[in-house]
Amino acid sequence: MHRHGPVGISRRAALSAGLATLAFPALAFGASSSKRLVVVILRGGMDGLAAVAPVGDPAYASARRELALTRAQTLPLDATFGLHPRLTTLHGLYAARELTVVHAASTPYRERSHFDAQNMLETGGARPYARDSGWLNAALGALGAEARSGRRELGLAIAPQAPLVLRGDANVATWSPSPMPDANQDTIARLMDLYRARDPALAGALDSAIAANAIAMDAGGMAGGRAGARAVAPLAKAAAGFLRRPDGPVAAVIEMSGWDTHANQGVDGGQLANSLALLDAGVATLKTELGPAWADTAVVIMTEFGRTVAPNGNRGSDHGTASALFLTGGAVAGGRVIADWPGLAQAQLYEGRDLRPTTDVRAVLKGLLGDHLGVNAAAIFPDSAGAAPLRGLVRA
Amino acid sequence: MSLEQAAIAANRFGFGARPGDLRVIAGDPRGWVKAQLTPERALPAPLAALPPAEDDVLAFGRFFVAQRLNGPNGDRIRERLEKQGVSSAQMQPVEEAFRQHFRARYEASTKARLDTAFATDRPVFERLAHFWANHFTVSAQKPQAAAMPASFEREAIRPHVAGRFADMLLASTKHPGMTIYLDNWMSIGPNSAWAKNPASMPRYTFGPGGRPSGLNENLAREILELHALGVTGGYGQGDVQALAAILTGWTYERPAPRDYFNESVGKRDGAAMFRFEPGAHEPGAKTLMGKPYTAAGAAQGEAALADIARHPATARFIATKLARHYIADAPPPAAVARIEQTFVRTGGDLRACMETLVDSPEAWAQPFAKFKRPEEYLISVMRGLNIRQLGPGVGAIAAANMGQRLYTAAGPDGWADIAAPWLTGDLVWKRMEWAEALSQRVARADVDPLSIGDAALGPLLSAETREAVRRAQSPQQGMVLLFSSPEFQRR
Repeated sequence: MHRHGPVGISRRAALSAGLATLAFPALAFGASSSKRLVVVILRGGMDGLAAVAPVGDPAYASARRELALTRAQTLPLDATFGLHPRLTTLHGLYAARELTVVHAASTPYRERSHFDAQNMLETGGARPYARDSGWLNAALGALGAEARSGRRELGLAIAPQAPLVLRGDANVATWSPSPMPDANQDTIARLMDLYRARDPALAGALDSAIAANAIAMDAGGMAGGRAGARAVAPLAKAAAGFLRRPDGPVAAVIEMSGWDTHANQGVDGGQLANSLALLDAGVATLKTELGPAWADTAVVIMTEFGRTVAPNGNRGSDHGTASALFLTGGAVAGGRVIADWPGLAQAQLYEGRDLRPTTDVRAVLKGLLGDHLGVNAAAIFPDSAGAAPLRGLVRA
Repeated sequence: MSLEQAAIAANRFGFGARPGDLRVIAGDPRGWVKAQLTPERALPAPLAALPPAEDDVLAFGRFFVAQRLNGPNGDRIRERLEKQGVSSAQMQPVEEAFRQHFRARYEASTKARLDTAFATDRPVFERLAHFWANHFTVSAQKPQAAAMPASFEREAIRPHVAGRFADMLLASTKHPGMTIYLDNWMSIGPNSAWAKNPASMPRYTFGPGGRPSGLNENLAREILELHALGVTGGYGQGDVQALAAILTGWTYERPAPRDYFNESVGKRDGAAMFRFEPGAHEPGAKTLMGKPYTAAGAAQGEAALADIARHPATARFIATKLARHYIADAPPPAAVARIEQTFVRTGGDLRACMETLVDSPEAWAQPFAKFKRPEEYLISVMRGLNIRQLGPGVGAIAAANMGQRLYTAAGPDGWADIAAPWLTGDLVWKRMEWAEALSQRVARADVDPLSIGDAALGPLLSAETREAVRRAQSPQQGMVLLFSSPEFQRR
């Protein structure tokens, strides 16, 4: 997410201004299903015990030591849990019953490699590198005819290349700001003429790119130049610009890195707090920009693993196992924390160091895909019979 | 003399024509292709300069050392290393050294691969090498294999491109690149000496770590599914397990711990590093696809791979993949059948298979049936411009911006060999942007883009593209239109 820059802004601006000569027919089709899914992947291993602090666990303060938040510092959820003070938007959504926290959640992965863990998070596989396509792509491929009709693409990555979760057979779009210089408007028009005359497939692709660029431009998705390299809000704004269209994609993926807080992660302020604030601002932007479409949207925010309960020698935390996962959106039946809480006393920890996983992330995803998108997700997550879909995550 | 056939030969079987090539090829297009189906006498200079597999293994190991030393068990490992005579001063600079070393390594290997393809006089051989390296994918996507693709490609693939499939399959399976990428180093037989007495197992402090705990099917499955028989090749889960058991103990010799902390340069190639580890091998005979294998040691696996390599399903699978790569995404059945017969008749002689393919009328029928992947597109444009090398990282970044980060295919099935994943809006757009950026650098008032198009494509350049290039406002715009034209994006 380092690709915002003035070069891209001028390119898209130029493009938008000239669009009248390059009309595209996407609006001619009406799409009939309005359900939307946004997947936010937090890369690096978000510290779930900092994001959603179990301040009511008697072992919490002593186990977390200098990383512990006090109950007074957190934004209250229930008797056990409080949100990190920088997650104010999420707290408001919780009060509005549009946010569910799933805590002590993990994929079946039990080692501590980022790459293997992200691979499993995105493929839905039961072991790393068992598959080379993503569960979200598979889910989009399994959508009913009604949900598919009238859409150019079913999925969208706000990235130059589709992340693994979105890779596969189903047609997905990618859009990202470009590090390359402006394409000349007149050249594009000439090329479009040539493609129309010689090569319908290339004409369709170029047409799709032009349409995507225009939507991103309309959404102001390029305005991130001053917002910092890891800002989520500009990406959320661009994504919303696609999603709120009746013929827009059913699902979009946004990625955010920088969660690997091995040193000086901070408590109510600092490195991790800043990341949480960026994420929180991204959710706020998504809700605002989606407008009425927010009501039909579910957002799942997940990470590859959590972090050690105890601080390490550098006032940070190391790779752990279970973390917290957020579900938000107008479609989510929120206002609750779902956790079979394993406890933080030494004997309760996984391998004596990590939050013990008690909820399988695949159970959340299977329930969400089934109830929100009407997709039978059993076949999408192989060897997941033990992770029965969590029902009732979205409003009936 | 057929310039049209020459352009097809250069684009479809090679990596695109350089100025002057078409007239040379036109004398005998098929002969020009076939003459390159011979083993290479010497490695191209850029590839010869790259380090061997052992050095790649050390490169990753050095990174791993740093990770481990900074990880949760770092103190314990430090202590053990100090006992082994490594000083803490030696341990400090490893991480930074590796970062620099590894970035330079990736840039050097991708530059060598691209420069070789830009400049080679044997582009048919070079395309074949790329095809087979993709067939036997070792991807840097898996961190443990991050440094391995280049030496794997050079040591296990190139020597056999015009040789026998059985030899390539064996070389691939024995190379540490594949052993690491598909986890075979950690596969141990349930009844092996190591499984019965885990304390006898060596501790791997460096390189891919973890404690082997049982049979790992990864390599066996991919050999059957992706390297040889194909997913419909008639094998079952029992055969996967049998082959995995047969291949237990197929691993590589690790460098000594001290070598991770000194300036040691690895010298051995992958074949020299192969090690059969008796302690990990599942004892006894195994039955694979109905046939018993009774030999002891590595000979058991060698016999099994030799049979797999000449299995009728393998002939079918390889013939299909070759036809898909060279002729069309949906390969014509008649051409597949002919190549398959040659494979069966010759016991997997890859040169003979390619000659059959070249003699197939289908290969010369539809000049633009294949959409170039970003890397081939980049190479063909460079050849069209007669640019013979790019600066470190430049070509790799260009390919990555267009959607193909070299040596990082998502899985062991490699880069897709059909148009759909590449012919997408964002990627077509990024190609056009790249063509724009390139032309701003290379266009000159005295260079006529149409003459570049003529030299690269001859009569295959369409009237519409000629017209568009001729009517361009500037040579620079003409160049963008030429390199973005359907004829340049397809082959």
